[in-house]
Amino acid sequence: MTTTRHTIRRWLSTALAGLALAGPAAAKMPVVEIEIRDHLFFPAEIVIPANTKVKLLVRNLDPTPEEFESYELNREKVISGNSQAVIFIGPLPPGEYPFFGEFYPKTAQGVVRVE
Amino acid sequence: MLLTSVILVLQETLEAALLFSILAVITLRSGGRPRAWLPAGLLLGGALAFVYALNLRRISESFDYVGQELTNAALQLAMTVAIVALVAWLGRAGPWNTVAAQRDRTVFNGLCVLVIALAITREGSEVLVFLSGFFTGAGALRAVLLGSGVGFGIGVSVGFLLFYGLLALDREGRWRSLPLVLLALFSGNMLAQAALQLIQADWLQAGPALWDTSAWLPEQSIVGRLSYALIGYESNPSVAEVVAYLAGAAAVPLAYAAGRRSRR
Repeated sequence: MTTTRHTIRRWLSTALAGLALAGPAAAKMPVVEIEIRDHLFFPAEIVIPANTKVKLLVRNLDPTPEEFESYELNREKVISGNSQAVIFIGPLPPGEYPFFGEFYPKTAQGVVRVE
Repeated sequence: MLLTSVILVLQETLEAALLFSILAVITLRSGGRPRAWLPAGLLLGGALAFVYALNLRRISESFDYVGQELTNAALQLAMTVAIVALVAWLGRAGPWNTVAAQRDRTVFNGLCVLVIALAITREGSEVLVFLSGFFTGAGALRAVLLGSGVGFGIGVSVGFLLFYGLLALDREGRWRSLPLVLLALFSGNMLAQAALQLIQADWLQAGPALWDTSAWLPEQSIVGRLSYALIGYESNPSVAEVVAYLAGAAAVPLAYAAGRRSRR
């Protein structure tokens, strides 16, 4: 019982700390642009700073829809043909976070490098 | 394109199919008939999915380009609320099998229609948008339709498997609360997904990832995808998602208890 209560308390404090840390720091959020052309991402590799929230601006220049998806980033968003989408990612610890186009996964592959 | 469409449509079908089977078992258990809500839910969901898919661009561009996330979060939040209300009704209606026909089932059936329709709206619209890309004469249409059919078929089969499995367990008198437990997990899953959409829209702070089991059970594996559809498995969830999941899941037994207390 005590250990359960202890775990719950630790979880709660982690949650509160997380909420407090991620507070109102959105003033100068970096924006990274990605284009989709012929079912490919340009650039296929983007580099973003660690522990920083970043705004991804994804422009789909193909006439066909695409879905930006990443298991590592926990992101998923349908983007209509000839339109653009905004996806917020991070703050993230350093590492590699692959993403792909779920509608054309054979060609639409990319990675976010966090350093 | 064949395999891509199998996986994509299977993924979208699975979640809805599993939800159908859980609701169908609960309906039968409580003396009702799934036929009373299934056709209406399918029709309403199909129509809403069509409307959503047609207006996707406009919806996506609204609210500073996070309209899609807000719409999805609203759909998932509404699903959680409807599931909780449904369970409260069950709690109030009385013990299993004695609910029978004397009670008014309009509320129950209406809530089932709503839950099913909302599930189809989100998953169905994604499939429709995917398919729309191939109706422009790109050439792969036949492979895509075949793949989608196969994916849909597998998803529905898994749903039936769960349905008959749960029903068999129920008839044997074992694990009789399993459908309600699954419904609680589904409710948690929906609220966690709603939280994730709000995080993606930068309307909610995620907090750090609480754990990482991607090496142990990758989300893209078959078991990982099945677990995602059934219990909302995610290999590296954030604090906000876990809190939302626990709240959504806990709401189900609480609603049942509250319904039970209000019984006369």
